[in-house]
Amino acid sequence: MRPPLLLTQKQLTGGLSLILAVLFLLSLFIGSNPISLFQAVRDALLDTPSVVAMILTEIRLPRSLIALVTGATLGLCGAAMQGLLRNPLASPGLIGSASGAALGAVCMLYFGLSSTLPMALPAGGIIGALAATLLVYLLAGRDAGTLTLILAGVAINAMALALIALLLNLAPSPYAVREIVLWMMGSIANHSMADFQIMLPGILLGWFLLMGTGRSLDALTLGEETATTMGFSLPLLRWRIFIAIALAVGSAISITGSIGFIGLVVPHLLRPLVNHQPSKLLLASAIGGAILLLAADICVRLFPAGTDIKVGVLTSLVGAPFFLYLIIKSRRYQL
Amino acid sequence: MIAFERGTSTSFPRSCMGARRGFGSGASAPQCWAAGLKPHFRKFMRRLLFTLLLLLYPLCSQSAQPTRVASISLCTDQLLLLLAGPSQIVSISYLALEPNSSFMAQQAAQYPINHAKAEELLTLKPDLILASEYSDRTLISLVQKLGLPVERFPLPSSIQGIQENISRMAQLLGQEGRGRQLIQQMNQRLEQVARQQPAVRPKALFYQPNGYTSGEKTLQNTALQLAGWRNLAAELGIQGYRAIDIEALLLAEPEQLFTSPYAPGSQSRAQQQLLHPALKRVTAGREMIEIDYKYWICGGPMIADAVEQLHQSLPP
Repeated sequence: MRPPLLLTQKQLTGGLSLILAVLFLLSLFIGSNPISLFQAVRDALLDTPSVVAMILTEIRLPRSLIALVTGATLGLCGAAMQGLLRNPLASPGLIGSASGAALGAVCMLYFGLSSTLPMALPAGGIIGALAATLLVYLLAGRDAGTLTLILAGVAINAMALALIALLLNLAPSPYAVREIVLWMMGSIANHSMADFQIMLPGILLGWFLLMGTGRSLDALTLGEETATTMGFSLPLLRWRIFIAIALAVGSAISITGSIGFIGLVVPHLLRPLVNHQPSKLLLASAIGGAILLLAADICVRLFPAGTDIKVGVLTSLVGAPFFLYLIIKSRRYQL
Repeated sequence: MIAFERGTSTSFPRSCMGARRGFGSGASAPQCWAAGLKPHFRKFMRRLLFTLLLLLYPLCSQSAQPTRVASISLCTDQLLLLLAGPSQIVSISYLALEPNSSFMAQQAAQYPINHAKAEELLTLKPDLILASEYSDRTLISLVQKLGLPVERFPLPSSIQGIQENISRMAQLLGQEGRGRQLIQQMNQRLEQVARQQPAVRPKALFYQPNGYTSGEKTLQNTALQLAGWRNLAAELGIQGYRAIDIEALLLAEPEQLFTSPYAPGSQSRAQQQLLHPALKRVTAGREMIEIDYKYWICGGPMIADAVEQLHQSLPP
């Protein structure tokens, strides 16, 4: 069997980066009001205080940047998780990392801690993500089958979402209850540069930790024993990836809310293009995730102003049928 | 009473005919009715009439002045507490105690509260229930079916609407004098502000959690305009309360933003939106000014407080 597309790693990365750059620029053009982007860039660079420059740098740029890094994080973590657990359905959304992160962030935000200490928000997200991931991993066992893992994930997800709903009902703010949907679906609207700066350290640290795991993940495709005899320490790799995912996903989700299915879909779409090689999949999935979330956010912004559709609604609309397709496909092989 | 009427109808002196036809005659009507009777009876009848009238007067005024009034909405609570005599109030809604939204929270503390439940209202045996336009319809139709009189008040968005509500409430409570006084005081304060209008009205916008703003037909719009500000939300064609997109807000270039904290001290994404750094930059570093919600969550004479505060925050 011949791969569907003959692309070298460089060509693939280059092509994806080009698409990402175009989408990023496009997302700066799209807003509720048409503004002259040329003038906005000139004003922003020359430091002339103008409203168009402010709209570009304080409203549109943070939104696009948050979409970019969050999408990249979800894609990257999905690829790493699928490689580590050797399970096609593993992803931050399904394993509970995302809803755990949302729960941690909710604890910090609505009960006043993050207003005095901004970094408490991503810290809560990181702790929540790590706790949920470990819990699912322990529940399912180390060599869990696809179904066991998904069921454990479903249980932890349900638990986390129920706790989020409970906490938001108990929160002192009268606006809290209406924000349940924000944490369940995820949204990147109305964020500022300050939010981006808050989420960035954890995300960069997580990316950095994941960067060197490619070769171990490649070895892992040959089986755990083979990988161990090749000199890779599996417990170390496992902890490294879990902590990296908690850092990156926890920080991102604490700002955006849990955005579903990007971590699941993107690695699957790109896997054939990298010859099913986990080490190459990591970078490609990161760029692919950023592309997908940016594209989804552009679509959300194209709806007429006033219809506040959460970006997670769109990614789930694309992702859920894909998830079904994966289940049917994996069932066919198992039976 | 019957004997007296019979007496007047039997014999009527000629001198009184003019009074019966019109108002030209000098003799007043009761004198004429008694004129046909014997002189010592005349005095007696006059006294009897006078005592009867005296007896009737408190009866009439009592039926016009309810003594057991229950209010089930925040806005009727405010007007009731402002206008009623202390013995007229039997219960107010629990919302009246909340100091952030209730202007009369302090005065409300001495009255029993209700939670707008039919059972509570029945045990109170009120002779008048006050509700707002938006109170629970099923509850109101239920208590009406059980024979309790309910009066519903609209939520005003203009000074005229506030005046109408005050007059109507005063009339229902039999406190017309207090009502007139309250309206007069409010009008005086508003007129004083109206006399000191700025030459150029600065651009303002009311900004609430989740990006909500107050356009036309809102009390915030009325108050901003009376105080000497331009309300950008109304100029952008926003009707009532609606979310404004943050880019549209920046493009309108407000010189000052106002907000009314509904739940100060609590945290949520909706409330965080007010902290967006662009909001401070577009108003050239001016902080958002907070006006307490209690002045305009309900239409009442306290709108004058909001107008005065808005007027004081005009740039020099």
